[in-house]
Amino acid sequence: MIKIEGLKKSYKDVTVLDVPFLEISPSECFGLVGNNGAGKTTLFRIILDLVRATQGHVFFEGEDVSRSETWKSKVGAYLDEHMLLAFLTADEYFDSLRKIYGLSTEDLSQHLDKFKELFNDEILGKKKYIRDLSKGNLKKVGIAAALLGNPATVLLDEPFENLDPSSQNRLKRFILQEKELNKIAFMISSHDLSHVTDICDRIVLLEKGKVIKDLIEKESMVMELNQYFDQ
Amino acid sequence: MVTQFIKWEILKLVRSTSYARSLLVGILLVGLGILLLSYVLLMGIALKPIIVQGLEKDDAILFLNSILIYFFLFEIIYRYFVQGLPVLELESLLHLPITKSWIIRFLLIRSFISPLTLIPLLLFSPFAIMEIAGTAGNRAAFSWLALVLLTSWSLHWFMLWFKQRFEDSLIGVFIIFLVFLLGSGSAYFGFYNIGEIFQPIFSLAVESFYPALVMLLVFLGAFFLCYSYYRKHAYLEDLTQDEEIKFANQSLGLFSRFGQVGEMADLEWKLIIRHKKSRSYLTLSAFFLLYGLIFYANPAYQTEEGFSYMFVFVGSFITGIFMLQYGQLFLSWNSGSFDFFLNKKNGLESLVKGKYLLFIAVSAICFLLSVPYVYFGWDILLIHLATFIFNVGIVIHMVIYMALWKPKPMDLNKGGMFNYEGVGVTQFLMVIPLMVAPYIVFLPFALWINDYAGLMALAIVGAVGIFAFNYLAGFSVRRVLNNRYEISSSFRQEL
Repeated sequence: MIKIEGLKKSYKDVTVLDVPFLEISPSECFGLVGNNGAGKTTLFRIILDLVRATQGHVFFEGEDVSRSETWKSKVGAYLDEHMLLAFLTADEYFDSLRKIYGLSTEDLSQHLDKFKELFNDEILGKKKYIRDLSKGNLKKVGIAAALLGNPATVLLDEPFENLDPSSQNRLKRFILQEKELNKIAFMISSHDLSHVTDICDRIVLLEKGKVIKDLIEKESMVMELNQYFDQ
Repeated sequence: MVTQFIKWEILKLVRSTSYARSLLVGILLVGLGILLLSYVLLMGIALKPIIVQGLEKDDAILFLNSILIYFFLFEIIYRYFVQGLPVLELESLLHLPITKSWIIRFLLIRSFISPLTLIPLLLFSPFAIMEIAGTAGNRAAFSWLALVLLTSWSLHWFMLWFKQRFEDSLIGVFIIFLVFLLGSGSAYFGFYNIGEIFQPIFSLAVESFYPALVMLLVFLGAFFLCYSYYRKHAYLEDLTQDEEIKFANQSLGLFSRFGQVGEMADLEWKLIIRHKKSRSYLTLSAFFLLYGLIFYANPAYQTEEGFSYMFVFVGSFITGIFMLQYGQLFLSWNSGSFDFFLNKKNGLESLVKGKYLLFIAVSAICFLLSVPYVYFGWDILLIHLATFIFNVGIVIHMVIYMALWKPKPMDLNKGGMFNYEGVGVTQFLMVIPLMVAPYIVFLPFALWINDYAGLMALAIVGAVGIFAFNYLAGFSVRRVLNNRYEISSSFRQEL
């Protein structure tokens, strides 16, 4: 589904990302881990064509993401709060997205119903602009927005960060459920090893822009990661 | 989709924390804009009588054609300073299934809906209808007007591209200054006459459609140049400004003598030179240093006795442009780190006083750099000295006091791309009330006694202001201290 070929990103002469080849298959839950500055967010941004690649290409279902934009309706993403329109309320924001994705109000309310548990009555129907929401609630709005419009793939950057423990567990259950029911492929970056190893089938470890481990074995995953981060 | 975007624009405006300020400025601007545009229209209607009766030229069309190029050169300059691209939160739209090309087209077309677009229409269509249609027929009037409008509108796209392309580079200012020399060189020094050179083209437009047709191609070409440039830069990395540390350790030594206040002035100085947006204000000051050349060398402003009153305006600008422009966004520059200053002992007071210090220093530097104008007469030096003292003594307090009314948060770390919040028409128009102040002091004495008494009055009032500095600065400091919760919450919220 997502195929990366000869990808390189450099700022001046510093190479921050160097991924010769990487393929992510449909309905796979793909986890990305690595220390600060490993290049996780940069990789996400290049996949989403938010940042130019210095070299190489990213393909979504065979389409070069920097050449066409039709893939955008099939890829949902939430990387940071800049992706939201801060001057709208959450309801208005979802409604705007509904129009952009061409959904009916039925579709939207059905979609938002799925988040009832995660939202915990703090998001919808509140007279509060997105800019005034707490960091955790911003994240919830962003995640719900990323999943709108039946995307095939959803990219989430640090989805568990800033969430309270019960929300973290709810989100985890939600992701697993969406993967099962709607065959959505997730790409998740996280510093929380226990969460990613719980939900992901495959984990790639980045260090200084390079893929240094590609783990598929559920059993050895945890151990290998712990070993690496314990150094 | 268009209605959705327009709705967002309105909501963003209405819900911004500085809405009250924006609204007031907006009303002021709309009023002023309508007034100015109606003057333009009046001038357009009176264009023929001005040329025939005022300037005593027989052939109004020929004469107008021979000076049109100066209008366009002037247009390049005012567009450079005034025209901007609407601000848009591109980062919140790029990941949505809206094509980039659609967003850019929306932006560009929106930028075209502006009073600047109307100016040539108001100025030249009356002439085309009343004069050219009368003597050469409707077709001629239409093709001539089409050429003029398309030239002006091509400049719109061209300037949008140019400003962004050469933003924050001296090349841009240099090119604009060259344009400026090109016009004044031909007019005042008489080496060549570009009016004569371009006149045949405009005259040809009266006879045939070809010039307008060629211009239409230029217009489309300029649009696509602009479009492809912005389209190519619709990436996140162009939105955030990621620059290597330039000007490291470039402290201004003289500030170190003023303790904590000096430290703040020094911080502010670093802030200015390390951000594109603020640097553009320094470039502006440099440009305005040359501003005197238009007036002082111009025979039209030579008087037999004393000097032209216009020079007081020029002098105020040359010595005070930095505080007038940069000062309008007084606290906005620090909106990103306002809590830092709140959190320090005497932080806010030193911040405000540090800014005072910085403004005075920059103003003094501008004054010193403008000393060579003495070449045009000792009067000029006296004018600059008097306006400098007045700026430092009085105007500085006015600017800052005004700027403290509902300050607007501003994100300095955003790059200029799609976020041109630098020098704009608002900044220029807000200067007008401030420019009246020196005349209130100057004119009575200049008219009743003589011009030099007027300058003396300016200098004395300014000097009183300087002696009362602590007292006057106290108003601004107290105002910031009293409103600190309000200001900091408004800074934290928006953007």
